[in-house]
Amino acid sequence: MTASPDAVVVSGVGLALPGAGTPDTLLRNARPAPGPSDRFDTTTRIGRRGHRYKDRATRLALCAALDALRDAALVCGEDAQLTVPGATVGVVGSSNLGNLDTACLTAATIAEDSACGLSPMSLPNASSNVIASWVAIRHGLRGPNLMLCNGPTSGLDAVHWGATLVAAGRVRRALVVGVETHNPVVEELAGAPAGDLLDGAAAVVVEGARWAREREARTSAVLGPYVRRPGLGPCVAALLPEGPPPGVWFTPERYKEPAGAAVPVPGTVPRHDLSVAFGRASGALGVLQCAAAVGWLAADGSGDALLTSGDDTADAVAGLLLRPTTAPRPGQDGPFSAFSASPASPASSAMSAISAMESP
Amino acid sequence: MSQLVTGAGAVASVGEGVDEIFRALCAGTSGLHELRGFDKDRYRGCHAYEIDDRPACGSDVPGRATAWLLRAIEEAIGQAGLDEDLSEIPVLVGTGLRELRSAELAWRDRTGFDLGRLYFGPALRKRFGAVHTHTFAGACSASLYALALGSDLLASGAADTVVVAGVDTLTESMYGLLDRVNSEPPDRVRPFDRSRRGVLMGDGAAAVVLRREEPGAASAALGRLLAVSMNCDARHVTAPDAQGIAEAVHEAQWRAGVKPRDIDLVLLHGTGTQLNDTAEATALAEVYGSDVGGPLMTAIKSMTGHTSGGSGLLSLIVALRSLATGQVPPTLHLTDPLPEAAEFRFVREPVSGAGLGLAQVDAFGFGGVNAVAVVERTGR
Repeated sequence: MTASPDAVVVSGVGLALPGAGTPDTLLRNARPAPGPSDRFDTTTRIGRRGHRYKDRATRLALCAALDALRDAALVCGEDAQLTVPGATVGVVGSSNLGNLDTACLTAATIAEDSACGLSPMSLPNASSNVIASWVAIRHGLRGPNLMLCNGPTSGLDAVHWGATLVAAGRVRRALVVGVETHNPVVEELAGAPAGDLLDGAAAVVVEGARWAREREARTSAVLGPYVRRPGLGPCVAALLPEGPPPGVWFTPERYKEPAGAAVPVPGTVPRHDLSVAFGRASGALGVLQCAAAVGWLAADGSGDALLTSGDDTADAVAGLLLRPTTAPRPGQDGPFSAFSASPASPASSAMSAISAMESP
Repeated sequence: MSQLVTGAGAVASVGEGVDEIFRALCAGTSGLHELRGFDKDRYRGCHAYEIDDRPACGSDVPGRATAWLLRAIEEAIGQAGLDEDLSEIPVLVGTGLRELRSAELAWRDRTGFDLGRLYFGPALRKRFGAVHTHTFAGACSASLYALALGSDLLASGAADTVVVAGVDTLTESMYGLLDRVNSEPPDRVRPFDRSRRGVLMGDGAAAVVLRREEPGAASAALGRLLAVSMNCDARHVTAPDAQGIAEAVHEAQWRAGVKPRDIDLVLLHGTGTQLNDTAEATALAEVYGSDVGGPLMTAIKSMTGHTSGGSGLLSLIVALRSLATGQVPPTLHLTDPLPEAAEFRFVREPVSGAGLGLAQVDAFGFGGVNAVAVVERTGR
């Protein structure tokens, strides 16, 4: 028994982070945020040529995107040739702060001098969708191209919209990329020092299970339901109305455990706040959580992974469940064997089909 | 499954509210004016299509885009007869530049900044109790992209009502960079004219309520949404591609189940740039073939300027009003059409009494993000 053909699965993960090259290392990496000297070197993955005028966020996004497309076997060879028609692949970017520096520094240059002092090469970076645009251009991804700038929940929202594009039949698969960076503008406007802010990107490929199966792709998780609610408690309650607690909880950024009975998830469930290890991740957090959940599932995590972004001070809290592609059983060679004969609950498959359509 | 537009709202340089804007556009009224909020001496060009609501000329204040968005949504949900409580209704907002203007001001004036002001969710939660809010920053096709996603939510059964909106204000960074790249600063937007010199930005917001069609509901609706296409050229980060546009137009018509000869009116993207207008004209000539002289064609950016992320939805609302009333706004300043558009039936003077059934609405953005909608007249 495998994921329902109507389910949406994760078929690739990519990272561009200092000190974490694969999803499983996201979990091992619960240590204080690295210093600025540990910046991820984008040239090691995408080289220098052709990237001179791209902003840092775009370069990081291109690195994570390439990694995810390779992991999903959607590109092959030295030149990363696409293995499927470009129109079958959509792109969903997520970033709140990516081009904040271009906007503010450009306006400052105009105030100090004039528009004549600007570099025309900055023009693309003034548009907030520049990240998703470059990812599509680099790989010839010609499906719908979305850019979410939706605050702290943006990354999980982006994963949801990728799945929605797939479920609606707009595309067979979508590359979802979350990225944030820091620079003096971001540090001042966010009111946080560089060392406390993410400089990195994560990407996942979400794909219709039938299309992943058709090309014999390895899949690492099934997307469960996604919800947005006006607070963390209602969000978790909507995702986990009854039944067993999740196997792991990826908490909102800088989540503080409340005292007493108000805890939304039983204290026995392991918690991971990725923003402690990698810095405040803003619009990248949800995608980073997906990548980490895939790592957790691959490391023989048992149960569902609960992902939540946004807290009670935000306009909403978004939540998503990621499920193993097969029910765990002893001796199985890990959850990547999506199409083995191991049993999966029909209910979970049906849920995931519905989840892709759940209202935003 | 068909979908109805049951309410609409808009704010633009030429007016406040759909009726006032549509009247102004049909009368050929332009919102063109010398720059109101930026220092004119710092640019080669000095015009834009701004909403004149700043407290003092020459100064700027944060939060204007958010305010227009809330007003456009208020008007749309009021007309649709919805409660002002949107806690259960998805609200999808398309924007090119979010509240980046507020960030520019905060950085310049060192006033501090709440990053929650960059996107529209917090303001929508505060004003309408909305929770299912999504800010899509998809350049100049963002609001038609949002319409396509909203339409998909209705089609899947995930929602039976959605609010779709678009909004943008001028940012100094985008205005300045466009000013920098224009070879000669434009003094106005002249879509499809051989002597066009480029685009000038405009302020504006637009919103619609989209619902699944129930029996008998069409007579009270503003019109019917048949389809919206979305694609990406994946060719160039700013320049459009005629092939990608042609595919988006073709896909929209295919999804709507119509042929080019069925279309009575095209609301063109028509930005007045060399590249857009040539690419759009080339694409339409290819898709429409021998029928290209059939539909009326007009480009309202000649009066509203380029309202960026909100422009597609503003054009869609104008298209619905034109279908309902038979009045079509003209394309101002179009005297000598570019050769690729030689066969087009441009509306150069206001039209009234036209019998129109189907309209196509174009929106294309930086990064080659294209969206095309097809709408149909209903009772009202």
